[in-house]
Amino acid sequence: MSDWTLCIDFGTAFSKAAVAPSGAWSRFDPATLRPLMLSAEGQNAFLLDSAVFVDEDRVLFGRAALNEADEQADKKRAALRSFKTLLSVSDLDRALNTNAPATIDPHRIFQMRDLIVLYLAYLLASIERAILADPTLAQGGTFTRRYAAPAWRSGDSAGMHDVIVRLFGEAEAFRAAVGKRILAPDGLSLRAISDALPKAMERAEPLEMGLIFEATAAAAYTSVGLEGSGSHMIVVDMGAGTTDIAALARLGPRTIELPEARVTLKQAGDFIDRVIANRVLEAAKWAKRQDARTELWSTLMRQMGDIKEAVMADGRATLRNQGRSVTLSLREVEKDEDFREFQKSLRQAYDHALAIVRDDARARGRSEVQAIAVGGGASSPFIQDLIRRKIESSSPRVIPRPATPDWAHAREFKGNLAPVFPQLAIAIGGALAPDSMLAARGGISPPANDRSGIPVERD
Amino acid sequence: MPAGEKKSKPKKSAARKRAAQGVSLTDALAEAAWSEADLALAQALADFDEAQTADGKKARKDALERLGQALSRAARKRGLTRLKDLEEEVAYNPDAHELNEAVAKTPKTVRIQARGVTRGGEVLAKPRVAPVNRKKRS
Repeated sequence: MSDWTLCIDFGTAFSKAAVAPSGAWSRFDPATLRPLMLSAEGQNAFLLDSAVFVDEDRVLFGRAALNEADEQADKKRAALRSFKTLLSVSDLDRALNTNAPATIDPHRIFQMRDLIVLYLAYLLASIERAILADPTLAQGGTFTRRYAAPAWRSGDSAGMHDVIVRLFGEAEAFRAAVGKRILAPDGLSLRAISDALPKAMERAEPLEMGLIFEATAAAAYTSVGLEGSGSHMIVVDMGAGTTDIAALARLGPRTIELPEARVTLKQAGDFIDRVIANRVLEAAKWAKRQDARTELWSTLMRQMGDIKEAVMADGRATLRNQGRSVTLSLREVEKDEDFREFQKSLRQAYDHALAIVRDDARARGRSEVQAIAVGGGASSPFIQDLIRRKIESSSPRVIPRPATPDWAHAREFKGNLAPVFPQLAIAIGGALAPDSMLAARGGISPPANDRSGIPVERD
Repeated sequence: MPAGEKKSKPKKSAARKRAAQGVSLTDALAEAAWSEADLALAQALADFDEAQTADGKKARKDALERLGQALSRAARKRGLTRLKDLEEEVAYNPDAHELNEAVAKTPKTVRIQARGVTRGGEVLAKPRVAPVNRKKRS
């Protein structure tokens, strides 16, 4: 039996988890990494839809929740998604104690907290199922758990750690009470939930979980194996809602964030989507009437992921709407005034953070700073240009790192880890990172006669 | 012992049964990696048909544009990247380039006619090049 570190990446659209042998940081072997197959449905077994749907008499989870929400969209019903956004608000207690809106919970019986606990229970049960299905992990062992969270949205991620660990604790108690029923494709009955949830809330299972900031997890998968040269790092994380810049320094066994370098910009992926959509609407002269423009807008939004990727990677994208083709080039996007303003702010923010991390590296006698881009926008040319830009003074040198580390191309994975790495990166980095990189540890204190073993099946 | 470091002793029979039925990690990664590439390839096949049956030049050009876009997307989803830029002029290296024309004399400089393709540092297709004829150009 071995010791393992499990990291949960509780993502906005999908949740992911990965396991690495304890000590993987100092004895790194890519072949020992185990991304977990959380989902029993769909072609990508590693992505578990972050969704809960409250139906007439049951609650559905994951893909089933989304399917049912689609079915009932005309009844003004919706699945609860984006838990991560909720968990990152500054007044978390208040947000958790808010009643779920009627579109989410027509019975008006659940608070947001209840629904998050239910989803976390589903996530924990999916993790247990994945561990048992993995021939290496099913042999058993000691599992140390941690989760990844953004560091800067509320300004107090570490302060919220206890609240989040308590939610996981309640979820663990609920999962233990309902057993495998929570993984049933038709979800859990409201009766089963109303029987078990209040008790679970009262008797939260003792949990010990660590918190790792997403930027630190990115630093971990980038700098694993780099030894001393990975001492300082600047991370540009462009997600959907914000672009965050963080600087990290590894001081002996510890990794610290340089807080004065941290910058958050409100423009990110969603902002670029709007710029692209507006430019296409401008270019599509034939779409003059309101209904034609609405139709074009919804086509654009449906295909935006592919369109944006093509514009950024190939320099242009062509899409077809109502029998006509419209092409948009990156150059046209770059002409957009709002986009140019965003690029300017991004450069200023990056330069500010870079100056701080280089000063720190210089003061500690280090010769290099690693630059890395993560998140959905990592491969965008303007982000790559930013981290690859030549700087005037040569010391410390800034070394741009690829968004997918070279080791993800290891032969053991037969070329199949690298394509999915960006989706699993934070969970993998979080599992690889040594304890010294954690932002917070602990949680609810366990009793002396604590029950043992995470992967225990219950009916 | 802290709860997060709990000793885990799953029921062996259940675990083994699941493991026996389960897919290997590499197979699951391959399926995940291929899932989005498959969609893009399906799109590319449809765009190819449209390019072949297109009525006018513009329709054909549009279909070819979309075909290229779908193929590029499939390649990205499989972790492939392009090597060099189209029309770029570089010093000829017989190990790194595939010469598109028969030549009497080894060229010094070549122009990239088709980009190469790499994955994780491994070259899957070398850039296809043509000699640059300085005299002809001037």
